[in-house]
Amino acid sequence: MSGTGPSSERGRWLVVLVAWALVGIPLAWGVYRTLQTAVKLFR
Amino acid sequence: MPGLLSKERIIAPPGFNRWLVPPAALAIHLSIGMAYGLSVFWLPLSHAIGVTAAAPGDWRVSTLGWTFSLGIVFLGLSAAVFGRWVEREGPRKAGVVAACCWGGGFLVAAAGVHLHNIWLLYLGLGIIGGCGLGLGYISPVSTLIKWFPDRRGMATGMAIMGFGGGAMIGSPLANLLMNHFKTATSVGVQETFVTLGLIYFVAMLAGAFGYRLPPPGWQPAGGKPPQAKTMITARQVHVGQAWRTPQFWLLWTVLCMNVSAGIGVINMASPMLQEVFGGRLIGAAGALKDLTGAQKTEVATIGAGFAALLSLFNIGGRFCWASLSDYLGRKRTYVLFFALGIVLYALAPHAGRLGNAPLFVGIFCGILTMYGGGFATIPAYLADMFGTQHVGAIHGRLLTAWSTAGILGPVLVNYIREYEIDRGVPAAGAYNTTMYILAGLLVIGFIANALVRPVSEQVFMTDAQLAEERRLAHESGSRP
Repeated sequence: MSGTGPSSERGRWLVVLVAWALVGIPLAWGVYRTLQTAVKLFR
Repeated sequence: MPGLLSKERIIAPPGFNRWLVPPAALAIHLSIGMAYGLSVFWLPLSHAIGVTAAAPGDWRVSTLGWTFSLGIVFLGLSAAVFGRWVEREGPRKAGVVAACCWGGGFLVAAAGVHLHNIWLLYLGLGIIGGCGLGLGYISPVSTLIKWFPDRRGMATGMAIMGFGGGAMIGSPLANLLMNHFKTATSVGVQETFVTLGLIYFVAMLAGAFGYRLPPPGWQPAGGKPPQAKTMITARQVHVGQAWRTPQFWLLWTVLCMNVSAGIGVINMASPMLQEVFGGRLIGAAGALKDLTGAQKTEVATIGAGFAALLSLFNIGGRFCWASLSDYLGRKRTYVLFFALGIVLYALAPHAGRLGNAPLFVGIFCGILTMYGGGFATIPAYLADMFGTQHVGAIHGRLLTAWSTAGILGPVLVNYIREYEIDRGVPAAGAYNTTMYILAGLLVIGFIANALVRPVSEQVFMTDAQLAEERRLAHESGSRP
């Protein structure tokens, strides 16, 4: 879908970035916690 | 004026960015993915009365474990029964109902803990929560496929990756909450259930209200929609017709065999590593049973690390394999899953006999990527075979294969292991026969996948039937 201008396009991508951060940050925390457990396998 | 939850209200306005839909789907799948992490509650709940140790009247871990089994059964049943309703009413309404069921299920389970009534726990997280799992799981499937006609595998892979990753967030969060709420008279599970129920309810509502549907006839700018090929149809099959086709049951077998083999491994991963390698994992001699208590604790920590590593490969496989299937084609992707899987399962006992722990771990990491990939690629396979109109409902019915596998896989693995040990086979070798049987399941899956052919012409809906279906689904115009 096409935007109406560069600034509105930037605004839309900012919203996308925020939405991905809202799900990505908890997921990254979960992956980090899992990695902390997983590294015990290699010690 | 259409209702707040209706399909008409969620048609995307001009300028809408389609990359907003996957995070909405992820918010729901990451929430319901906690189903895999429910086992974190069983040990504390097994001494809910005694608090520091089990007391008379406390539940057994095996009794509590039925909650998960019930949840998976009701996931499959609700997805199969309500799939068509989800297609008609749209993803927002389905997402809201899923949020009520999953969040509400935690609240009912909290009441069960408070009253020490196991049936309320089963009702909350098993039955009501299970329906939330089913509705939540299928709610974004057809929406994502419609938004990403050029990358069907990648789009559904992103959402289904969330289901695999939910427990990674939920389990440590639950542990933090239980530690926060526990007192001298409580293990803290009841309060944790209430908190998690509210968190999941809000997260899932946010996801449901983030869903948007593409306008009729929408196509991605610069994207190339899949051209009708031998294995990708541009026409539509009705859900009532789809499940009567051999293709549906072949794909059902494909999913069931892939999941049965993988779920069996997930269940036994940690004890298997410990029993196969015993003291060698910590540089000590002897089998697991010969180790001291401290050594067993050390080995168990390594086993937990192995299980954690597998879960990472499981979610990675969901996204990577499903995305790759957009280039390889769905049938070829499953050929790879089964062919590689058969080789890896057959190699695992040799890696155990050689005492090669890195090879053993590598084999199972590979297997788990394909377990996750099998889940994530199946919606796109269905869309290719049966079209996108009823793909969510067809996917819902196919998920009964998961419910079946959820019983078949662990039963096969556990009973064969016990049978081998009863025959006098050492614990380190008790998994070898299991591995060959799991490889056999993948042979069945390989054959089923090889037999998949395009559906016959008479199965497709006529233009008039399709128009009527679109009217019932509150749609107008053509869909990609």
